[in-house]
Amino acid sequence: MEWLLLLEKCIWFGLAATGFAVLFNVPVKNLPTIYLMGAAGGFTKVLTMHFGTNIVFGSLYGATVVGFLSIYFAHKRHSPPPVLAIPSVIPMIPGILAYRMIIGLTKLAGEIQPETYNQVLAETVNYGLKVMFILMCLAGGVAIPMLITRKESAKDLKFRRRN
Amino acid sequence: MTPESIKNTEIKELGATLLHIGALLLSAGASTGRTRNTITRISDSFGYNTEFVINNRTLLLTLSDENNEYFFNSLKRSSPHGVNFTLLSGISHLSWEIVEDKLTINQINEQLAKLTALPHYERWIVLILVGLAGSSFCRVNGGEALDMLAVFIATFAGLFVRQEATRLRFNLYMCIYFGAFTASLIAGGAVKFGMGYTHEQAFATSVLFLIPGVPLINTFSDMIEGNLQNAIVRGMNGLIISFAIGLGLLTSMFIYQF
Repeated sequence: MEWLLLLEKCIWFGLAATGFAVLFNVPVKNLPTIYLMGAAGGFTKVLTMHFGTNIVFGSLYGATVVGFLSIYFAHKRHSPPPVLAIPSVIPMIPGILAYRMIIGLTKLAGEIQPETYNQVLAETVNYGLKVMFILMCLAGGVAIPMLITRKESAKDLKFRRRN
Repeated sequence: MTPESIKNTEIKELGATLLHIGALLLSAGASTGRTRNTITRISDSFGYNTEFVINNRTLLLTLSDENNEYFFNSLKRSSPHGVNFTLLSGISHLSWEIVEDKLTINQINEQLAKLTALPHYERWIVLILVGLAGSSFCRVNGGEALDMLAVFIATFAGLFVRQEATRLRFNLYMCIYFGAFTASLIAGGAVKFGMGYTHEQAFATSVLFLIPGVPLINTFSDMIEGNLQNAIVRGMNGLIISFAIGLGLLTSMFIYQF
């Protein structure tokens, strides 16, 4: 049953990625690819978190999968990798955590009750730092294929054995 | 025409075209590194030395030939940011065509005119698919069927209001505020009067279609590549957008007394 729930989330991750792809005016021929990549990235994140990984590292793994897939599909579909990768990682942006951070910040700026102040402060800082680290991991994970191969353009980068 | 004046015209035309390409890339949502690579790739194929400064919305370019006899030096401001990945991938194709097929400057300009004239998606397709994306966000964050419906309607209306505000030339951050306020007002109403069938997730995820995904991801890719100044400027832009979203949410929360 849990596995079904995890798999069901893939559908929604992919759909969210496609929605953002349309908002960013990605060419129509790339939409199925982005659906697939969004679903794969989201599945990696949900799966690693299911086995007890922190949400930050879960997002890093998800974004890394998206990064490698974006290089593969960039050759297949003749598109630059960021065009495929950016819409695919957007469903992994931690919206709920950011929302809680904003709510926490306004509580901190409002009337101060000394009993709860420390708890609210701790929660807000925790959510805020998580949001920041997740965003960094998303951008870093997408860039990993380029970073480890030290190439400037995906055109030079082919996962193929040299003769 | 003398050979000197031909060379002089060529360097001027190439410079203007390069600045145009750079400005298009910046406004379409390319990272600093991508803009720099593309411009260098094209000017290298023409055999000129290029030096340039890239700011968030400005380009400063100097071209010179190998003997330092001819110069071009100019500055261009790009139009406000509107993410357009069709243009981005089109220009990427074009830059490789220029290198491989040795296109002339006139051919490049023709191709660019074609690329900028390419249509966007129909408005109702964007509204529906972004609405679906919003309800997918809601589901991923643990919402249920009714929450998803509420978020779909909220996102649809919010994006519509945002597009209209952009058309009326409001300030960018005001547009975002209006969008966030409309979406959270609708979703908040559903939560407040939903008699327990709709939950907090619907309210929180109703504004997620506004998240500045491209500015934020570009911030960190610029940071990784060491373009720190641009990274800071773009990060600040993303932060103000997030703040505008937060303000919209807070207005609704104040109205509904959550």
